Amino acid sequence: MAERVSVTFTLNGERRTFTVAAGRRLLDLLRDDAGLSGTKEGCGAGECGACTVLLDGRPVTSCLVLAASVEGRSVVTVEGLGGASGALHPFQRALVEKGGVQCGFCTPGVAVTGAAILAQGISEPGERARLLSGNLCRCTGYSKIFEALEAAREGSNG
Amino acid sequence: MDLPVQDVLRPRSLREALRVLADHPGARPVAGGTDLVVQLRDGRRQAELLVDLSRVGLDGITETDRGIAIGAGTTMDVIATHRAVRTHFPALATAASQVGAWPIQCRATLGGNLANASPAADTAPALLVAGAAVTVASARGQSQLPLEELFVGPGRTSLRSNELIVSVLLPVSRTGAGRRLVERFVKVGPRREQIISVVCMAGRVVVAADGRLELVRLAFGSVAPTPVRARATERLLERRVLDDRLRQEALGVVQEDVKPIDDVRAPASYRRLAVATLLDRFLAEVARG
Repeated sequence: MAERVSVTFTLNGERRTFTVAAGRRLLDLLRDDAGLSGTKEGCGAGECGACTVLLDGRPVTSCLVLAASVEGRSVVTVEGLGGASGALHPFQRALVEKGGVQCGFCTPGVAVTGAAILAQGISEPGERARLLSGNLCRCTGYSKIFEALEAAREGSNG
Repeated sequence: MDLPVQDVLRPRSLREALRVLADHPGARPVAGGTDLVVQLRDGRRQAELLVDLSRVGLDGITETDRGIAIGAGTTMDVIATHRAVRTHFPALATAASQVGAWPIQCRATLGGNLANASPAADTAPALLVAGAAVTVASARGQSQLPLEELFVGPGRTSLRSNELIVSVLLPVSRTGAGRRLVERFVKVGPRREQIISVVCMAGRVVVAADGRLELVRLAFGSVAPTPVRARATERLLERRVLDDRLRQEALGVVQEDVKPIDDVRAPASYRRLAVATLLDRFLAEVARG
């Protein structure tokens, strides 16, 4: 029987403590222990990006993160991108407006990575494409996702 | 699905981490986990006990008079964008920007990429041409070894189970007046982004004012049981002036410097051809100036 470990971290702006199996992945903690099922599991091997969350503001694939290792850190999931009020992040609104969502399975990860791209102020198209290349989308062809990124950037510039 | 491990310990200092490793033979250190978690899940590696290095504080890049020291816990995104790394070791910056995609780069560490000892590890050829030395610590003290001595075979290093990579030192040398440094990293694969290299290459050349190649370092990944320097090709090119005949000769010699195998990603014959092609392109850039 695996040992259980206690882990305390900031989840979507709120300090939370969980007691989980030593081998629990952050992805499973989020979905099963915290009830935040917005984060999806695709490949489970860090290749598809469906499980992307922000760890201290940087995107990471939560299927490869040991839950015990986020002690003291800050995790933001798609549910928390827009802040504590539950509002949508400007990029999430733009994804809706521009039609950057089709089947929707990659969308939580795309939303998280896109929000990180906007937070870093990256506007060069080639660099944006490189940074989003870890979020695989089989439906949209990406054009509308990049349109949404641009719309969200223009929106935030006023 | 939970990973098949019994326990995870979370030391708060290097000293504590080294003591834990000394007390628990067979414990496996984990930093970003981008390789290890996948391997544990697939059963390719087993570990009863993980030692999480998140709070050990091995990250950060420092510039000293001996060179640039990169902490083993430094992540790829930090290395790829660091000003001094980009200036002195552009091949390493490029390699770091091509290890997986961004969410992997924000998590994968330099120490992990080396300890995992994949023949395809992208940072390894770039570090080999940089002349990198690895600082290794155990509860008994620290030692330094040339990076080449770290790699033993696919997935295997010369590290003992009580040892930890703490940093990688890249010696900075002045290129000098009239000399020109050319350094590149390139990889070949079915997609530009986020692929495991079918072949990758790093080259570092210093061209003297009279056109002679003063220093030549060439290293390849995914073409031998470990990342390798192309020593015979280096010897052939060093102190010579690059012309078409020498270049053609080098393209033949370099294919004998590597020992590729057939595997799921490519046959050996393709890899030999790719090695020669990458070298040809690199030498063309060196010649262009």
